[in-house]
Amino acid sequence: MTATAHYVLRLYIAGSTPRGTRAISNVRKICDEYLEGLYELEVVDISQHPMLAMTEQIIATPTLIKTLPLPLRRVIGDMSRSDRFLLGLDLRDIAEKAPSAITR
Amino acid sequence: MMTLARKPSSRATLLWENGELRARIMELEAALAAIRSGDVDALVVESAAGPQIFALQGLDAESCRFRGDMLAQVSDAVMAVDSETRVTYLNAAAERLYGVTASGVLGRMSSAIYERRWVNAEDEAAAMAALSEFGEWHGENVHVRRDGLVLNVESSITVLADSDGQPSGVLAVIRDVTERKRHEVLLLVSEIRYRRLFETAHDGVLILDPQSRKIIDANPFMTRMLGYLHSQLVGKELFEIGLFKDKAASQEMVNNLKRTNEVRYENLPLESQDGRHQEVEVIANLYDENGCPVIQCNVRDITERKRNEEHVKLLIGEVNHRAKNLLAVVQAIVHQTAKYGDSATFAARLADRIDGLAAGQDLLVRNHWLGVEVADLVEAQLAHFKDLLGRRVLIVGPSVRLTMAAAQGIGMALHELATNAGKYGALSNLEGRVHIAWQVSVAAKPVFSMSWLENGGPKVVVPTRKGFGQIVIGRIAEQAVDGCAEITFRESGFSWKLSAPAESALVSTEVGI
Repeated sequence: MTATAHYVLRLYIAGSTPRGTRAISNVRKICDEYLEGLYELEVVDISQHPMLAMTEQIIATPTLIKTLPLPLRRVIGDMSRSDRFLLGLDLRDIAEKAPSAITR
Repeated sequence: MMTLARKPSSRATLLWENGELRARIMELEAALAAIRSGDVDALVVESAAGPQIFALQGLDAESCRFRGDMLAQVSDAVMAVDSETRVTYLNAAAERLYGVTASGVLGRMSSAIYERRWVNAEDEAAAMAALSEFGEWHGENVHVRRDGLVLNVESSITVLADSDGQPSGVLAVIRDVTERKRHEVLLLVSEIRYRRLFETAHDGVLILDPQSRKIIDANPFMTRMLGYLHSQLVGKELFEIGLFKDKAASQEMVNNLKRTNEVRYENLPLESQDGRHQEVEVIANLYDENGCPVIQCNVRDITERKRNEEHVKLLIGEVNHRAKNLLAVVQAIVHQTAKYGDSATFAARLADRIDGLAAGQDLLVRNHWLGVEVADLVEAQLAHFKDLLGRRVLIVGPSVRLTMAAAQGIGMALHELATNAGKYGALSNLEGRVHIAWQVSVAAKPVFSMSWLENGGPKVVVPTRKGFGQIVIGRIAEQAVDGCAEITFRESGFSWKLSAPAESALVSTEVGI
């Protein structure tokens, strides 16, 4: 699969934690590299709004939800491994070329 | 409970559903693995009260959360960026300041929020050096929002370190000082504008402390007016610079001012350091300067104004005196014209004589009552023979100025002479001539003399009675110059001569001629 569709992503974090902070940076970095111009990212802090966690059945943070294109996918962790992150988004062919880890 | 019969699925649908289930199981396994391996920092647990969030990083996480809550509440904008300047934290104040939402810009480069500009070119290098050396920088710069709004900001930047002590980004506390800067600029403009008024005013201005009554500022005009340096004025009381006669008078002025808020003194004598005397007017006001009372004294040099007022007073007196004189002359003309003339021609003769008087008067006014050139007077009185001047009317004489009284008397005489010459004398035919001459003799006591000689006219007949015209060219002319008139009725032509001390007939500067 190649990235041609429009991706709608939502990153759930719980406050300003080092892991949440890293997740934000990593998601943006990977998306800017592989999905430039093809994605929308919304960062949701559930420590401020816990009820928002219910909508997407969030069980841990940081969690990234791919809302579109279907099917819905979720990735948990600080997204420091770009290959795992891309696999989670169903971008298998890109994931195979991507480095296994990025900055922590 | 009702169970719905499930519609048999196609093979493709079953395969897709199977794939989805696998993917879901993998996600759950990944989630469990992430939780086990410590890749998550919080768990969300459903409860009767709603979802509850449990932090997994002990005290550090708690303190992180506490710090986050604190930063979220502060009124200054707080923003954190990582080492690549990606935004990792943005509080509510920062969202408001830059017109963005944290959810939309977190993870983006800071340039997606604003463009940074430095006030001075060297500020950037200084900031980088401070961050590198001390790990922090405080200063002002300009942030331009993505919608173009320019913000003047005061920033406190601190370098953030990771658990290994390596720089991992910076935390910025940003305060919007745009409004303050705008007021500073307005204040500066105001200061320049009103300072210029103070510095260039053509009145002396003194600022005094009402408590000590001492001068705390003075404008340059005041220093010039008094001949003191600014530093010599500051710290002195008004009586010490000669504005009031003693300490008590100076104190009384301040006391009056405290009671009425404004006092005014006219005609105060003021002496400059070099002894120059000036009349001044002082207007003092008590003002409030940001809670502190100050006295402002405007000191105006009215020496020139006073001189002008005196001059105007003198002129009014003089005009009054001259008007009375003129009315007396007119009265005499009326009386004499009526006494010696024919009643049928009275009005015409009177109008003619008053015209002559008016011509002389015009000359006096034109010369600001400072005397009249004899040549101008002659030409004015012979205006109706203008075309004969230089041909049949010859005028010879130096440039000398008659006094006001002399100009009036001689002017009337010339008018009578010209009228008679036109009616009966040398200008009543086509050949006659008139020679008008005047001179000033060079002697210890110079004498002004003037003559009117006619020839070529009809044969002169000696009048049988003395009319007013003869009185004008005789007695009135003599009185005007304190001199002596000589009237001769020769058969060949009439002549008139007038001589008088030059000091009586001429304005003083002419007497030396």
